[in-house]
Amino acid sequence: MNVRLDTTVGSLKLTNPVLAASGTFGYGLDLLEFCPPESLGGVVTKGLSPRPRRGNPTPRIVETAAGMINAIGLQNIGVEAFCREALPQLRVRGAVVVVNVFGERMEEYLEVIDRCEAEDGLAGYELNVSCPNVTAGGMEFGHDPVPLERLTAICRAATRRPLWVKLSPNAPDLVATARAAVAGGADALTLINTVRAMAIDADTRRPILANGFGGLSGPAVKPIALRMVWEVHKAVPAVPLVGIGGIETGRDVVEFVLAGASAVQVGTAIFRDPAAPLRIVAELETFCDDHKVARVAELTGGLQWR
Amino acid sequence: MIARRDLAVRVAARTDLSPTCFRVILETVDEVAAVPGQFGMLTCGVGFDPLLRRALSIAGVVRREGVTCVEMMVKEIGRGTTLLRHASVGSRLRLLAPLGNGFTLTAVEGTRLGLIVGGIGLPPVLFAAEQLAARKVGFDLYVGAASGAELLEVERCGKAAAAVGGELVLTTDDGSAGEHGFVTDALQRRLDGGCAYGRLLACGPNPMLAALTRLARDRALAAELSLEEPMACGVGVCLGCVVELEDGRYVASCKEGPVFSVDRLAERWWP
Repeated sequence: MNVRLDTTVGSLKLTNPVLAASGTFGYGLDLLEFCPPESLGGVVTKGLSPRPRRGNPTPRIVETAAGMINAIGLQNIGVEAFCREALPQLRVRGAVVVVNVFGERMEEYLEVIDRCEAEDGLAGYELNVSCPNVTAGGMEFGHDPVPLERLTAICRAATRRPLWVKLSPNAPDLVATARAAVAGGADALTLINTVRAMAIDADTRRPILANGFGGLSGPAVKPIALRMVWEVHKAVPAVPLVGIGGIETGRDVVEFVLAGASAVQVGTAIFRDPAAPLRIVAELETFCDDHKVARVAELTGGLQWR
Repeated sequence: MIARRDLAVRVAARTDLSPTCFRVILETVDEVAAVPGQFGMLTCGVGFDPLLRRALSIAGVVRREGVTCVEMMVKEIGRGTTLLRHASVGSRLRLLAPLGNGFTLTAVEGTRLGLIVGGIGLPPVLFAAEQLAARKVGFDLYVGAASGAELLEVERCGKAAAAVGGELVLTTDDGSAGEHGFVTDALQRRLDGGCAYGRLLACGPNPMLAALTRLARDRALAAELSLEEPMACGVGVCLGCVVELEDGRYVASCKEGPVFSVDRLAERWWP
């Protein structure tokens, strides 16, 4: 049986529904011998800001039960270095590249998009409005529907490329933020970013991370992510969703797709296994063979609610 | 650059080295071209808890009759290392290796090298010592531990140093074996007594490395430290294991390290 893994997220065509998540795959070229970027549905870059960012002090990561908490603080090389150094190679390889955009102010998001608009070979943008680890930007847009709609609209006006908004699981009202992003002109929603969390050292009576708190990822958050994808899918069924949160296997992908996702992102699994996204694509194909699924895209939102 | 690979390995042997530390020999059919200072990311079992692999320095690599044996030394400090301590011979694990950079092993004209170890910092330095001995590059080896029972592989250390006419200096924090005190104090006494080293190579706990950095900087000695930072991926994408450099940049210790020259490190390393 010839299983077709190709899918679409809005107007964006993907050869398979598995993307590498922002912050777990560098700039797409770091793990070539394990996972060539062109073999995936796409790659989402490390969050790019107008200028390079140093990131947070250490310790930045801590392992927890079936997960990890990170507070990297969006360390990145800046959009200019990305466009000059990484993008030309990604283009030659034919990778589908989604730029994760971060700014401390609305103008900074625009600066990143404007710089990328000068370049060919980018598939779209993902607005990072949900990073729990930086003091400015990020969450203040992601948690409040009013500034989120404004930010999305401003970015929408700056590009005709697909525009995704990555939602925060920490927002007081997830569905309200989803609606705001859509009202602002988002083509698709990515969910979820990491769950705000902390780890404490009982001996020293201090938080383990230098930042105090961080974002939880990995299999521990998968049930939360599935629930959120399903809720947003029910609220805005016409809007394409990109599911993310603790995906480790092909079956996990199917679960997210059933909950309403058109595509998924694999993140923390890459830290365990640099070839994880490719393995997951293969497992997804096997699942479809075994379950006589002609096209993965047909499963989107197919959850049978009791 | 030596190719890193995700190797299928088999636990071929597991031996206790001290009350807290043990050795694991990992067998693979693949060749592993590791140099002293490089490390690997080793799974510690199946399932999601613990989630991440463990970053472990390579203590040695031997290839014989189509099989490569990679030697790791591990201190049991948490769930992952406890699982490894109890891994049965024959267990199948994955080892992503070799990763990172290595120590500079060239001779420095007219002097010996000084090799300094604290506790479970032994593997990369012992690997270096044995390679230096094979190349007839002279060195003295300083090995410190909390107590006599925690001094690892003393005989092997002595043999490597003796092969090039070097001294093995043992120290313990509690005075139960060797010289009483920190390994850096023993080094300082010999430097004060006129010992000269063309380069120091070291691995150990951060307070020891900070003391060594101060010593090296005060005396303008070249020194290379193998650092340990919490690490998720080992391949430069998580940015968890960064080390702050003198120019203010954070660099991933898994790629630009784990071995750093002291003159590159930021101030927190010589408080």
